[in-house]
Amino acid sequence: MTMIASEPGEHAARPPSAPARWRGWLLDRASLLIPCLMLLALLAVYGSMREGVFTLDELNLDTAAAMTLMLAATGQTIVLLRGGIDLSIGGMISLGTVIAATQFGDGGATTLLWSVLIVLLGAVVGMLNGALITVLRLQPFLVTLATWSILAGTALIILPIDGGSLPSGWMAFGSGSWLGLASPVWLLILLLAFWFWFKRTRTGIAIKATGSNERSAFLSGVSPLAINLWTYGLSGVFAALAALYLTTQTGAGSPTIGKDYILPSVAAAVIGGISLFGGRGGLVGTIIGAYILTIIGNLVFVLSISSYWQPIASGVILLIAVLASSLAEKSSRRNLS
Amino acid sequence: MPDFLEALSVAKRYGGIVALSDATLKARSGEVHALLGENGAGKSTFIQILAGAVRADSGSITLGGERFAVRNPEEAQRLGVAAVFQELSLIPDLTVAENIFFRREPLSPLRTARAGAMREATAELFARYRFPAIRPDQELRRLTLAERQVVEIAKALARDPRVLILDEATSALAPRETEWLLGLSRDLAAEGKLVIYISHRLGEVRRIADRVTVFRNGATVAAYDTASVDDDTIIADMLGRQMERLYPERRNTTTGRIALSVKGLSVENRLADLDLDLREGEVLGVAGLQGHGQRELFQALFGAARASGAIEVWGKPRTIRSPRDALSGRDGLALVPEDRRNHGLLLAKSVRENLTLSVVKRFTRFGLTDPKREAKLVDDMIAQLRIKAGSPEQAAGTLSGGNQQKVIFGKMLLTDARILLLYDPTRGIDVGTKGEIFTLMRDLAARGYAILFYSSDLAELVHVADRVAVLRYGRLAAILEGAENSEHQILRAAMIDTRAA
Ligand SMILES: Nc1ncnc2c1ncn2[C@@H]1O[C@H](COP(=O)(O)OP(=O)(O)OP(=O)(O)O)[C@@H](O)[C@H]1O
Ligand SMILES: [Mg+2]
Repeated sequence: MTMIASEPGEHAARPPSAPARWRGWLLDRASLLIPCLMLLALLAVYGSMREGVFTLDELNLDTAAAMTLMLAATGQTIVLLRGGIDLSIGGMISLGTVIAATQFGDGGATTLLWSVLIVLLGAVVGMLNGALITVLRLQPFLVTLATWSILAGTALIILPIDGGSLPSGWMAFGSGSWLGLASPVWLLILLLAFWFWFKRTRTGIAIKATGSNERSAFLSGVSPLAINLWTYGLSGVFAALAALYLTTQTGAGSPTIGKDYILPSVAAAVIGGISLFGGRGGLVGTIIGAYILTIIGNLVFVLSISSYWQPIASGVILLIAVLASSLAEKSSRRNLS
Repeated sequence: MPDFLEALSVAKRYGGIVALSDATLKARSGEVHALLGENGAGKSTFIQILAGAVRADSGSITLGGERFAVRNPEEAQRLGVAAVFQELSLIPDLTVAENIFFRREPLSPLRTARAGAMREATAELFARYRFPAIRPDQELRRLTLAERQVVEIAKALARDPRVLILDEATSALAPRETEWLLGLSRDLAAEGKLVIYISHRLGEVRRIADRVTVFRNGATVAAYDTASVDDDTIIADMLGRQMERLYPERRNTTTGRIALSVKGLSVENRLADLDLDLREGEVLGVAGLQGHGQRELFQALFGAARASGAIEVWGKPRTIRSPRDALSGRDGLALVPEDRRNHGLLLAKSVRENLTLSVVKRFTRFGLTDPKREAKLVDDMIAQLRIKAGSPEQAAGTLSGGNQQKVIFGKMLLTDARILLLYDPTRGIDVGTKGEIFTLMRDLAARGYAILFYSSDLAELVHVADRVAVLRYGRLAAILEGAENSEHQILRAAMIDTRAA
């Protein structure tokens, strides 16, 4: 058998020309650049209609308004990176708020104890999702749809209508501030710090890798069960945190409020450039996506038009984001071949 | 010297399908041990058991005298067994360095992966084993198939294994990288490691393997010292019969009609101003050094690359901008693509569906599919190509690598297109089937098909093609015919600029 040998050096990749390199760089980051541009555009419109949009106060307010969504979407981001989806966060958020509103009482100790218990409950519920998905080989969509329903029902049994009460100190959380930044902003900084740490840990890498190619990850020694326990467990924890934060804002428990966060958490992530097929994207995009959704809400308010315009605008933005990043994806593919 | 690895009577079944019935392999450290067998003989299943990716139903394995029973890939790696799988185990969204150290990342005090350390260690590893140049910080999905194969090898080596398993690692490699891997295997054996080497290319096996073990239908049928056995014996063991001849008799069946005519075809800076005529009843070979435009030629003809120039199909001008344009009925073109796992097959679908998906029309009457006609088409194709599947309903992804390739070949044959573009169609296919594919190609030519045929193995071009077009720097360097069509002449034309001389 004879094979043709290639000439030495001939195979070495030709360095691309400078403009081509720039194009490639931009296309690579398109899924993050596009939401950034959309946020800037929205802010420009918003700023032209109202005074004081570009101040710390506005940042504090918007972050406070967006934080529940950001927390819920952090969990969702991790799940989407893994290539799954978690609908049960809706049930978990509702359940978290009603437990808090019925159990916190007045004492600092019970508040702390029950907060910890709620977060633990989130972890357990999430890990249960993960275990069911792995062991029974069921679709994440179906499993978390079922647990959502169960959790939401449980919340209704505990507290059939909005109500309950929370300690006044608890509700003061949002008004705290330090160095001009309100506590939700500090919470966001913590969240991002967590993310930049987590995505570099072995577990973080393995979650992303499993979403990117499950079979390859398994062949490389990733345990599917462990990865799903981590992924959905974390999602449950963030849903619980979202519930706790939400009660500091509303001051009450609500057995039905969680469903308002399920699809927006997915939308924020997708607007932020996370692929529903897993493996690609990060929390920074999701946070920007959450801000975009929040600013749209503000705009609808400032324009004093019917609030029904908010979901419509969100939908349009979502479409633009998905379309733009898929176009960028396609042309970067073409660049390659 | 005692055997370092001893696997006795290993068996594995998948439902009703017996993948391995009685596999035995004994190998020493410090040797390259080849594992041979037909497509579907059970080679990959066997090494997946060694690598912990699959669990055996029965049998016993010892490694270095100790019982070796691993439950997952991680345990196997810890015991020093690293495998380069036929289906690669890389993560598209991680970089080269991250892939190589995946699950074994060097950690900082905060338990995060140290990117810089990984990049350096990768560069070091590449230097130590003289790897082909690949940037450690590139994302894997940007790499070509051959580059991915090389990264997979690096990943296995980075674990400093005692046993390195290479499952058809050369099938995606260019000749130069193949040479490198053959040398590397010998070096590793000299370091005292055991290299288990699976390939369908007997030439490679002869060059590097100390011993060979032959599987047939899931059982070990023979084991030899390579030096003491000839190719015919090995092939007879693999096939369970003597093979008469690899290459069919070549009769000239070319007619005067031109099936495909290409004028001034250019693809970016890869292919320049190419004129080529493919005639009815002809097998036209395409040759050239790696990267001199062969791939672009095939892609352009199939509408997968942007090209300029004029293409005439059966005498009519034709614009081909997408594979859909190319594939249209009896006067269309059909392609066997290069990256078959990603572009050719729906892995979760059955063999039947894969074969007939694009030709539903052929067995549709009055808007209804006729399952009988479909079954007949499928059964004929499975028989003709000897596709080893439990039933036509087996998922394509669970076929052996070579049998997946046969399905793609069959799918293309069923399209009814009479111009066939075959890009390395025998890659990963066992010798027995290779011979059958060549015979089939000549039969098709005799029935009026026109075949454009690229192969990385020159001998195939010389023995099967009527004429060979040699490309050099994206231009036509020569067309060789008759006595001129020899390995020597092809190489000459590919390397020496005949026009300038
Ligand atoms: N997951 C599975 N489900 C069903 N059958 C399977 C599965 N994996 C492998 N098989 C069957 O086991 C047999 C052996 O396959 P294997 O991949 O080991 O062959 P191989 O010797 O590596 O062939 P090749 O040279 O084509 O790569 C095949 O018939 C295949 O269809
Ligand atoms: Mg195989």
